[in-house]
Amino acid sequence: MGQIVCAWQAAIGGARGLRVNSGFARMAQLFPQYTNTLARIALPCLALGFSVVAWAVHAAWFSSYATEVNTPVEQPVPFSHQHHVAGLGIDCRYCHTSVETSAFAGLPPTETCMTCHSQVWRDAPILGPVRESWTTGRRLRWKRVHDLPDYVYFNHSIHVQEGIACVSCHGRVDRMPLMAKQHSLYMRWCLDCHRAPERHVQPMSEVFVMRDEPAQAAAASRLASRGELRGESPPIFERGRQAVREKAVRDTRLEDCSICHR
Amino acid sequence: MSTPYRASVPTPGASPQWRSLDDLARLEGGGDEFPADASEWPDALSRRRFLQLMAGSLALAGTGACTRQPREEIVPYVRQPEALQPGQPLYFATAMELGGEAFGLLVRSDSGRPTKIEGNPAHPATLGRSSVHMQAALLTLYDPGRSQGLMKSGSPATWEDLLGTLTEQRARWQERAGAGLRLLTRRIASPTLREQIARLLTKYPQAQWHEHDAAFPAPPLPAGLRLERAEVIVSLDADFFGSGALHPRAAFDFAKRRRADHGRLYVVESTPSLTGAMADHRRALRPGELADFARGLARAVREPGAEADPWIPAIARDLTEHRGRSLVVAGEFQSPEVQASARELNEALGNVGQTIDNLPPAPGPRAAALPELARAMHSGEVEALLIFGANPAYDSPADLDFNAALEKVPFTLHHGIYFDETAGRCAWHVPESHFLESWSDARALDGTVSIVQPLIEPLYPSKSAHELFAALLGELPADGYEIVRSAWQQRPGGGGFESAWRKTLHDGIAPQTGTVSAPPAQGATTQIPPTEPAAFQASLELIIRPDPHLLDGRLAENAWLQELPKPFTKLTWGNAAHLSPRTAERLGLAHGDVAELRYRGRTVRAPLWILPGHADECVTIHLGHGRNCAGSVGSGCGFNAFALQTSEAPWGGRGLEIHKTRERHVFATTQEHQRMEGREPVRVETLGKPTTPPAEAAPAREETLYPNIDYGRPSWGMVIDLNTCIGCSACTIACQAENNIPVVGREQVLRGREMHWIRVDAYFAGSVEAPQLLHQPVPCMHCENAPCEAVCPVAATVHDHEGLNVMVYNRCIGTRYCSNNCPYKVRRFNFLSYNDTHAPQLALMRNPEVSVRMRGVMEKCTYCIQRISAARIEAEKEARPIRDGEVVPACAQACPAEAITFGDIHDPESRVAALRQSPRHYALLAELNTRPHTTYLARVRNPNPEIA
Repeated sequence: MGQIVCAWQAAIGGARGLRVNSGFARMAQLFPQYTNTLARIALPCLALGFSVVAWAVHAAWFSSYATEVNTPVEQPVPFSHQHHVAGLGIDCRYCHTSVETSAFAGLPPTETCMTCHSQVWRDAPILGPVRESWTTGRRLRWKRVHDLPDYVYFNHSIHVQEGIACVSCHGRVDRMPLMAKQHSLYMRWCLDCHRAPERHVQPMSEVFVMRDEPAQAAAASRLASRGELRGESPPIFERGRQAVREKAVRDTRLEDCSICHR
Repeated sequence: MSTPYRASVPTPGASPQWRSLDDLARLEGGGDEFPADASEWPDALSRRRFLQLMAGSLALAGTGACTRQPREEIVPYVRQPEALQPGQPLYFATAMELGGEAFGLLVRSDSGRPTKIEGNPAHPATLGRSSVHMQAALLTLYDPGRSQGLMKSGSPATWEDLLGTLTEQRARWQERAGAGLRLLTRRIASPTLREQIARLLTKYPQAQWHEHDAAFPAPPLPAGLRLERAEVIVSLDADFFGSGALHPRAAFDFAKRRRADHGRLYVVESTPSLTGAMADHRRALRPGELADFARGLARAVREPGAEADPWIPAIARDLTEHRGRSLVVAGEFQSPEVQASARELNEALGNVGQTIDNLPPAPGPRAAALPELARAMHSGEVEALLIFGANPAYDSPADLDFNAALEKVPFTLHHGIYFDETAGRCAWHVPESHFLESWSDARALDGTVSIVQPLIEPLYPSKSAHELFAALLGELPADGYEIVRSAWQQRPGGGGFESAWRKTLHDGIAPQTGTVSAPPAQGATTQIPPTEPAAFQASLELIIRPDPHLLDGRLAENAWLQELPKPFTKLTWGNAAHLSPRTAERLGLAHGDVAELRYRGRTVRAPLWILPGHADECVTIHLGHGRNCAGSVGSGCGFNAFALQTSEAPWGGRGLEIHKTRERHVFATTQEHQRMEGREPVRVETLGKPTTPPAEAAPAREETLYPNIDYGRPSWGMVIDLNTCIGCSACTIACQAENNIPVVGREQVLRGREMHWIRVDAYFAGSVEAPQLLHQPVPCMHCENAPCEAVCPVAATVHDHEGLNVMVYNRCIGTRYCSNNCPYKVRRFNFLSYNDTHAPQLALMRNPEVSVRMRGVMEKCTYCIQRISAARIEAEKEARPIRDGEVVPACAQACPAEAITFGDIHDPESRVAALRQSPRHYALLAELNTRPHTTYLARVRNPNPEIA
């Protein structure tokens, strides 16, 4: 520490250093004595300050304010997945029709809402915008909840096909009265899975089922977050590994930039 | 300074390849490595100010990055169309019209927006291939410079106003049986429109119809040619690969023959053309000499004898040895005399019905020409002039003085896609719907009829020609769909109409409408012979031709075509007067001099371009430039060659004088950009001679410091066959449309900042007097040992596991080290925000599967990774490997000659792997050991031993 302080003083032309070096002309003191103390205090403060700022940026970056995780988004109609999925038992694909065939899962046209709501809850005030859309032909404008940056090309159909369940990314929508993100959708989160697909891949029969991801997946994400190597093979992943093998997922390909960015 | 480049030329002793006369001088004498002033600070901006701005923008960019992503909306349909799946494109068959001919198209629609145009494989004129004009039609649809509203005498009006006026006019026409009513159109391919015109002419018997098409005076050449059957072809200035509009069919058939047994192509022409570049023997002759040559050839085939020109007996012998399998074609701009010689030769050689067909003319009434209309207008006979699609105020010969004539007509109406020179001088202007937003039909020259179906609602309150005609006739139905449908219903046809209509819409062609039989030969084309006053005999000859990209100026507002480098000169954003080096030397003219061209009493100032391979003692100028009402893109580029055009000799003649001025012109040309430093990039072989063993040409240097990566399968690669590539640049525009590539404008091109991901390099080889013309398309090579990857400080360009060199835009910080280190010069940098993100129309045009790049980001060819990705996903869903030919990049899909092959180079069964085994196969700059995945097949020449 003493070394650093000396260097610091030399750098700012500390009073003591000047006095030693100037043999003939005694120059007026540039800095008062207490500057040394100030410098000694300032150094650790600076270090601490940087750490605090870094911590704050990091915390803000992963806060729910930035990620919007668990923050419901206001919609024109307060649509409840909980009611429709858990209460009525409607399959995801009834409304998100193109999830198995297209990059975009699809949002139901007003017509789909009206198949039921021309019969039930015909006069409910909260369904006003849906009826208005149906009669005027003006489209409903939903707010996007899961929004990736424009340079990311996510494809629903291939994820579903390879056995990534809806719950893996969207969480338990059957418990959400209002839709909210469950994950940050940051690139790190994507890579956690792309680096170890066996921890998330499930048999096709499980893909559209609203059940917590198997316990091993939960454990896996904890393991992954602690930086465990992907080469390890705890027996709980055996089923996922089996599925990966059956589907011949090219895991070398999954980490290529070009798999998502183009 | 030049020594290192000379030393690296792989085959010493061979004739060098050069791009321009400057380049040749540099290679021989050793000039500067960099263009003049390359190291100069180009801006008025001082260094200090620049640093201030940089610091400021860095700070602002940092803060700007802290904003949250804007909240986006999802707007589902009220009723979703049946076949539509959001996120999955749909393809619709339609057709476009150019030069009175239909080109069948398949258009991709993303969420109801047409985003890419391809040829329709079922259509005889395209066979699934396309051309620059077909590809660029997409930009015209979304062009913010289009006419966006109905105008009356320069102020906005409504359709109802026009209907009221037309009712009054109709009463007047009825009264006088249509006397004084004139129609002016371009060449028309729509049978329904022809029927409507016929009805109008029946209703008003005194009315007259005129046709004026400055780019297509006659039907496009290649329609009746069967190039795949012709073993020996002689072109008398017939540019069937590039005349007016490229005909994809010609290149397709020609390439088929070349791949089979090469054949032989002789081209005699005045101006270097795409066809001339493909020739095994090319001869540059001025138009007068060319007529003598044609006559001599006809004589030599008739009665072989001594000829002064050694070429004539040699070609005649070659032709007579291939009776019925040869072909002589005269250019559509050639005199009737040359046309007659060609016809005589084909008849004498028994080629008619074998390699050349006479095509049936379109049914319906015939139109008169423009000069008759102008005469009538001047004499005050015309009371009402209705102009459909044409722009005679700009594109008519100067001697007709059309603008003065137009002022004498009391009622004028213009229907066009732009508010152009003619629209501004007409009382009424009605915006025309683009073919992608209106219903119509179109007939190909062989008789095949297609329905033109819209892919999008009109973006502006525009009308199609059918709708405007219905209003003129006061007919019902007035809606474009109903008009076309009812016209089709009235035509004879077996079976149920509804199913036939739907099938025609789906397939893009009506069944059994094409005829390929040869009816009796047509008479000579009705072209007025050029009169050559004796006083002009000794002077220079002027050659006037439509611009290869802008045609007669109708496409001048299309920025893609303006910025597309023209063949051989690689000139963008303007035109030039081309002349040969020897003539320039004789007249004491230098490249870039601005000269006054005086021709039969008219004058125009034009910059001079000295073009090796041009015939001596003649000057070529291109139409379509120098417009003053084209719009913000096309106005003021180049000079107007129509100022020298005369109606009696529209394609030029003798009597030209050149007077040098003190002015100099700087051309925005890409010819000297991305130089290959004299390393002979195009390999040329001679048919029948053993090919140079690759080991000799480029000593193998396999040692490398990089780890050897064994790519599995697929490992993507591309092979470009230089023997069939005609250099038409359809690939460049197709790539631009598919990959959201912006245009940069003339000023940025001057700084070498053009953005095309695949460029077509042009080279001259051999002597300056008679050079061989060569082309080479250059996309990213996707090197295995990619020099760009090693120098990127942020790993923004890396390899993926399928052998692609990928560019990660969101990582790029814009150091440009990669571009510096790329020996092929294929990387493009966004120096400015070139993509127009403000015009809402252009946002509709973009391919949603490709990122729109911002300022400060490097970009380059991705092998159309979005298409690879789509194919991979489909294949994985079906649990199978990707099939050969399933991934087709935009360039390969557009290429009319199928010169670009793409596939998995590690798949022994793939076409691309087979081509890589060809003895003609070589890698560009193989000596650098970059191991490129894009490779080439050498060009082959098949010279006639009697001439060589």
